[in-house]
Amino acid sequence: MTAATDNHWYPVAMVSGIDAPRETWLLGKKITLGRDNGACWVRDAAGNPLTVTERFGHLWTSPGQPNRALFTIPEADTPGRRLVDVGSVRVKCSPLRAVENFLDIAHFPFVHTDILGAEPHTEVDRYDVRIAEDVDEVWATKVKFFQPQAAKSASGGITTEYMYRVPAPTCAVLYKTCPPRPGEWDIITLFVQPLTEEWCEVWPWMALYDDASTMAEMVSFQQLIFMQDRSILENQIPRKLPLDPGMEVPTQADMTSVAYRRWLKKIGYTYGAQLVAA
Amino acid sequence: MNWIAVGLKQDLPLGVVIPSRIEDTELAIWRSASGEVRAWSDRCPHRGMRLSHGFVRGNALSCIYHGWQYSENGSCAYIPAHPKLTPPDTICVPTYDCAETDGVIWAALQKPLGAPPAVSSRRPVRSMPVARSARAIAAYFNAPQSTFLEIGSDFDVALALQPCTAAHCVVHALAARGADRKAVSRWLEALRSDLEESAP
Repeated sequence: MTAATDNHWYPVAMVSGIDAPRETWLLGKKITLGRDNGACWVRDAAGNPLTVTERFGHLWTSPGQPNRALFTIPEADTPGRRLVDVGSVRVKCSPLRAVENFLDIAHFPFVHTDILGAEPHTEVDRYDVRIAEDVDEVWATKVKFFQPQAAKSASGGITTEYMYRVPAPTCAVLYKTCPPRPGEWDIITLFVQPLTEEWCEVWPWMALYDDASTMAEMVSFQQLIFMQDRSILENQIPRKLPLDPGMEVPTQADMTSVAYRRWLKKIGYTYGAQLVAA
Repeated sequence: MNWIAVGLKQDLPLGVVIPSRIEDTELAIWRSASGEVRAWSDRCPHRGMRLSHGFVRGNALSCIYHGWQYSENGSCAYIPAHPKLTPPDTICVPTYDCAETDGVIWAALQKPLGAPPAVSSRRPVRSMPVARSARAIAAYFNAPQSTFLEIGSDFDVALALQPCTAAHCVVHALAARGADRKAVSRWLEALRSDLEESAP
C-alpha cells in the first residue's frame, strides 16, 4: 500500500444503515465502523480511529491523511431534489473496472437493452474529454445517446445528454438530462469501496428531480441497471484494470475510459490495476 | 497436446455459444447459423469480456458488452459504436483449430497432428464433469499419456478426456451405437464415484 492509495476518501457505509458496530474491508484490510451518540466512527484492525466524514448519504473514511477534503457536488444541494440511497452491491471485480464501466455509454444497447439503449441506435458521437488540471479530475462533456427509457421518470425514448466526472479514483459522478425538467441535470453517482484489488462494494447514490416515482421505484430502477452491469463486471478478464496499452483495444467511443486510465497512471493510483500484460 | 474433446454436437445447437476450456486456456465454442463450429479464445480484445456470454447472429459471434462482431476467421467486422468504421485487421480474437467428427467437437491449442481420434462405430452419450484431473483418470485406466481411452465394457465405452484444472476435468463418453443410454449413464455415474473416492 502506498500514500497514492491511502490518502483518498472511500465510502464504507450508508449513514442511514449504521447501527450496531460491524466489520468490513477497505484496501485489503479489516476495518470496523459504528455510531456512538449520533457520531459515526471507523477503526482500523488495531483499533486506531480513522478520519471520517459524512456526505452524500454515506460515511467516508481514509486509512491515510487525505491531502484534500472530500470532493463536493454543489448541484446536489439545490432544493427540490430527492436524495436516493440506493444501497450496495458487492462485485467480484476491480474497483477500477466498476468505475470504468460506469463511464461507458457504448454498452447501453447490449447490456441495458430497451432501457438505456437499443439497437439500431448504437452510434457514439464524438464528445469532449479532458483532465481538469485545476481540480485534478477527469471530465467528459457533450456526451449524447438515444435512450428508450432514460430514467424512471421518462416516458418514451429521448436523446439524453451526459456529463461524466471522476473526482476521485474510485468515484464517478454522472450529470444527466432530467426528463421532467429540461435544463436541469439529474445526478447519479457511483461510489466504490475497494474491499480488495479484485472485490468491491458499490454504493450508487442519486439526487433526482422526480416527483412521481416512489423511493422504492427509483431504488429498484437503479438496482436493475446495476445488476445488468454486474453480469459484465464479473466476467472480464483479467479482473484488474489493465493500465498499459496493448492489452485492450479502445476506440473513439472509449475516450473517457482512456483518459481515466491515463489519469490513474499519472496520479500513481494502481490499486486494482494491472500494469504488465499477463 | 493435440486434439482434445471440448463438447458434444448434441449440446451445441445452431446459433449457440458455450464456454469451455483446455487447462488454462478458456474457450468460447460456437456454432454459426450455417452449422460451422469454431473454438476461440474466450476474451473480447476490446474490454476483456468473455465471448462465451455473447450472441451469434448469422455467421458471426458478437460480444455481449458492446456488440463488437467477429466474423468466422476471428477478425472484427463491425463495431456498433462506430457503424461507418471499417475495423482494422489488427482487431481479432485468437482462434484455434476445431473439428467436428461423429458428434464430438475437438479443439487443438497447437497445430494438430493428423485427424481427431477415430470413435469408430460409437456414438456420443453425454459429457460429465469429474473432480479428478484428466491425468489421474488416464492413470486409473493405465494409459497415463492418453486423452482418448477405449475402455470396452458391455457398452464398448470410449472416454474423451478434457483436462481443465489439477483437480477437475470433463469426460465426454461414447458408447456402442445400440447401447442403452440410461444404462451407460448409470455406468458413468458409478465410474465417477469410484474416481472421486479414489482421490488421494
